[in-house]
Amino acid sequence: MKTIMTDVLVIGGGLAGLRMAIAARRRGHDAIVLSLVPPKRSHSAAAQGGMQASLANVSRGAGDNEDVHFEDTVRGSDWGADQVVARMFVNTAPKAVRELAAWGTPWSRLRRGDHEVIINEQKVVLTERAEAHGLIAQRDFGGTKKWRTCYVSDGTGHAMLFTTSDQAIRHGVEVHERTEALALIHDGARCYGAVVRNLVTGELAAYLAKATAIATGGAGRLYRVTTNAVICEGIGHALALETGVAALGNMEAVQFHPTGIFPAGILVTEGCRGDGGLLRDVDGHRFMPDYEPEKKELASRDVVSRRMEEHIRAGRGAPTRFGPHLWLDITLLGRRHIEHNLREVKEICQYFLGIDPAESWIPVRPAQHYTMGGVRTDHTGQSPHLKGLFAAGEAACWDLHGFNRLGGNSVAETVVAGMIVGEFIADFCDKPENTVPVPLTLAREFVRREEAGLSAILACGGHENPFQLCSEMQEIMTHYVGIFRQGDALLSGVVNLQHLLARSREIGVSGKSRAANPELVAAYRLRRMLKVALTIAYGAYLRTESRGAHFREDFPRRDDQGWLKRTLAFWPDEDPALPRIDYEPLDVMKMELPPGWRGYGAKNYIDHPDAPRRRQEVDATRARMRDADRHAVQNALMPYADELPASLAGRNERLDEPLETAQ
Amino acid sequence: MSAITENNGSAAAVDAEPRQGRWLTFNILRCDPADPGAVPHLRAYRIEEADSMTLFIALNEIREHQDPTLKFDFVCRAGICGSCAMMVNGRPKLACRTLTASLPAENTLAPLPFFELIGDLSVNTGKWMRGMSERLQTWLHGREDDVDLRRIEERMDPDLAEQIYELDRCIECGCCVAACGTARMREDFVGAVGFGKIARFRLDPRDARTDGDYYALIGDDTGVFGCMSLLACHDVCPKSLPLQTQIAFLRRKMAMTGTRR
Amino acid sequence: MLHCVITCGVSMSYEIVAAQAGLSSKATKNHWPAWLDILQGSTGLFLALFMWGHMAFVASILLGETAMWTVTRLFEGYFIFGRSYPGLVSCAVAFVALAFVAHALLAVRKFPVSYRQCRTILSHAKAMRHEDSALWIVQVCTGFLLFFFVSAHLYQMFVWPQNIGPYASADRVWSDGLWPFYLTMLLAVELHGGIGLYRLAVKWGWPNVPRAVLKTVKWGLTAFFLVLGLATLAAYMKIGFDHRAHYGERYTPERMLEDGARREGGQ
Repeated sequence: MKTIMTDVLVIGGGLAGLRMAIAARRRGHDAIVLSLVPPKRSHSAAAQGGMQASLANVSRGAGDNEDVHFEDTVRGSDWGADQVVARMFVNTAPKAVRELAAWGTPWSRLRRGDHEVIINEQKVVLTERAEAHGLIAQRDFGGTKKWRTCYVSDGTGHAMLFTTSDQAIRHGVEVHERTEALALIHDGARCYGAVVRNLVTGELAAYLAKATAIATGGAGRLYRVTTNAVICEGIGHALALETGVAALGNMEAVQFHPTGIFPAGILVTEGCRGDGGLLRDVDGHRFMPDYEPEKKELASRDVVSRRMEEHIRAGRGAPTRFGPHLWLDITLLGRRHIEHNLREVKEICQYFLGIDPAESWIPVRPAQHYTMGGVRTDHTGQSPHLKGLFAAGEAACWDLHGFNRLGGNSVAETVVAGMIVGEFIADFCDKPENTVPVPLTLAREFVRREEAGLSAILACGGHENPFQLCSEMQEIMTHYVGIFRQGDALLSGVVNLQHLLARSREIGVSGKSRAANPELVAAYRLRRMLKVALTIAYGAYLRTESRGAHFREDFPRRDDQGWLKRTLAFWPDEDPALPRIDYEPLDVMKMELPPGWRGYGAKNYIDHPDAPRRRQEVDATRARMRDADRHAVQNALMPYADELPASLAGRNERLDEPLETAQ
Repeated sequence: MSAITENNGSAAAVDAEPRQGRWLTFNILRCDPADPGAVPHLRAYRIEEADSMTLFIALNEIREHQDPTLKFDFVCRAGICGSCAMMVNGRPKLACRTLTASLPAENTLAPLPFFELIGDLSVNTGKWMRGMSERLQTWLHGREDDVDLRRIEERMDPDLAEQIYELDRCIECGCCVAACGTARMREDFVGAVGFGKIARFRLDPRDARTDGDYYALIGDDTGVFGCMSLLACHDVCPKSLPLQTQIAFLRRKMAMTGTRR
Repeated sequence: MLHCVITCGVSMSYEIVAAQAGLSSKATKNHWPAWLDILQGSTGLFLALFMWGHMAFVASILLGETAMWTVTRLFEGYFIFGRSYPGLVSCAVAFVALAFVAHALLAVRKFPVSYRQCRTILSHAKAMRHEDSALWIVQVCTGFLLFFFVSAHLYQMFVWPQNIGPYASADRVWSDGLWPFYLTMLLAVELHGGIGLYRLAVKWGWPNVPRAVLKTVKWGLTAFFLVLGLATLAAYMKIGFDHRAHYGERYTPERMLEDGARREGGQ
């Protein structure tokens, strides 16, 4: 058995994984990153529009700070987020942007003086102050009170990923490309690493580490139409789930992006709407103001996606033989703007639709986009159930996003969580008690088990085709566990998925090679994907309320009384073919922002019994500290500063908030 | 809801009536380096063209219905990650954004040359690119090691930031190297991707390196003086990077640097 | 040798030791690659411009034998010194030969040198269907031909510079049977030089105009000089054919014949 030992094993080479590895390396630990593909090809590169950080550089960002970002994030999450984590996040986001700036990310910069923008179909002239000239620019994004989204044209993720990946190379982070973790090595209490398959040679090896971190991104490929890359199959989620010990949190929270190009589902950025683009129906009518008079196209994504599907249901979609769609109109932004700030959008339209977005409308329809749920971790990024297992980014349920993520917060989370969790991982490795004897026997046992699993698949003469089963799964998920959900449909979904799981044991593969063998890969991944799909469908079935992206037509109200809690899914036994679902209540009495109306979307919810009392407490504290500075008020409401790693603590300087006077 | 489930793939003209399906032939170069006995050969696959079909859709269809052992790489399938570069009728292209409508009925697909072959259409561009990055040190060499992250960021001219991004758009797909006659003949050649990176960092005022430092990296025949200016790199770059002018610019700068005492 | 080591000791520079060990010296900048690249380009530029000038002089035959004779005498210093010094031409030839050898040596570094490289680059250019790559193959092939043709030509001109003239050259073309030699060299040299100049422009980014424009200019110039060259060659062939009976006779302008006759008559 080949054994490779390191300090930190990171599974996944996207932004979160690389940033964690860099943090570990900078603290003197060895780190190996496992990646299915060369890290610069990770799905992080697909983030177009930008990353939120309250720099308050632009005129429309004036007055922005951590407090506003925090409130936007919590409201966006429909109060599902962990508010301490949200606080840690908003305080670190400006540091993350500035770190990337120092590392070379070519952030789009602000120009002094007047510039014309499109806001609500009107040309508006904004004036930027001279002292902000050359600072990082921000654009508008959905669900935010201020212009807060820092961007690099519309290739933000690409630029961030290349910067970070190059820094990883600089720091000597070892990346084992084209490798895939098949199972975590653990003894039920402590995680020791993973069994890893080399996708080129097929060789299995045991990678043993003090800390193992999952950063494998989302699970979009469980759905038929998704903006996600083909590698986003929820394998990291499955790794944790299959330990039987670690939990997945809030898996039913699946975000649909309003503007996937129709019908391929390729993303066009929210920046299109942030910069003034409009949604139109079959008649060319701009319909969003009818539903959301205040935020219009820029309500949170769950709301816009739902309104779009609602409008299509009302028969207002443009019909095609693939089904109806709506239009995204960015022609009003002008060719210059499109060719400078939305050039990826332009390329995508040109190559995949054969249209020029400066002249034609773009056919769009909501497509699966983001997995809010993931490996449940505490605020340090460690699994509360399995010591030594960490997770960050989309694969984690840290839990920053609750039931809906704001645009621009995901790519921000990758680097922010990478920084924070990376530091905690380094702390973990520093502690002498976490240096454990090498569990070679255990590792051998796990490798043997995976070896046997692969042999069984190759030996099975079954008649099922993995590709076929996979598309059936995607069909079921899209059909029964999509934007609009209903109890009986969800139940059918669960049953159908269970049926597929049974059929997946009958997969026969025609090519018997143990080396690079796409059919074998599809076969062993499918079973894992089905388990993740089941946690989503079953969790959605059990959650009889609507919250954020999880919308139940039979329970359209948010129910804080019954459901202000996080779903935890475990998979301890193969039978019955269902996860065990637990819940983790959120403590309203500790919230800085007690539950209320989000400010957009439906305005009806069942209040939590503690909520009025907490609101009173919060109001009283605010009234009492009317003259205190905002940091003191915040600290009185929900102290969090001690939770941050020391190297990342501290306030953030802004033009209007110089550091000296702020301290 | 159900409408969403019915579509699969992209649309050049979603409103168009379904066209009479053309039959496409793909002659694919098959090779399995893991099998010492295997002989590289062309194998023909025939599929019916669908509306707005891309090579991503076509190849997956072949794999799912005709030959599950066929190896190829796709990741983003949106033309932004650079995984799927391959030789389409002799020229490097991103397969995922190549519409079959733009192709003749009979086509040849081959792996990118120059890079290590993994199997069939899959090549190890990642390994080479990492080597290139290490060799050319393609990371920003900041002036100071630790920046105070609490402080306002350093300012940069907005136009300069855009110019840097223009060069930063490289996706390391490997098309430029596969198209490069020089690289095909000398394997230690840096390639246009490398020059693009150097040009990018040279432009960046945050990078402390001097032309002398860059000369040490690319000032020889494996570097900019080895470039014979066949310019296929420029002509095939999927991101339309200005490689011709950037390489010429570097050549002038490096010649000046090299001839200075 | 051993004796030498013992008695004298060995002192070698760091560069030599490092280079023998296969290590590139980081501490000291290696100036050679830059100079060699500049030299390759500048010798190419010189040769191409020289070639065009040369073509213009040779083409003077189209204006008549006397015009060509005048040009020849001009280069032999006749109009300065009052008599011909063909050695001057030899000197010029030597200089051009020097540039030629330097250019050839530098350019050959880029040639495919093994069967594998040849096969790779040929199949590459063929499959790519890429004009600039194909043009490079043309450049290599013509360059290879020119090694031999230009060397022979330069040798001839160096050793027998006096054999340049309306009749002498025409005899060489026709009666000595060298017209296929000149025809091949003309085609090779015009293609090679034209492509080379174009390549030089895109290589160094000057003049900074779109490649399509450069290419149009390049093909225009090549066509012009090819037509001029072919016409010139035809002229020499015709003169050589007409003059075949008087092989070896040198051309003297009629004016000078008259002058000579007058002078003889006067004596």
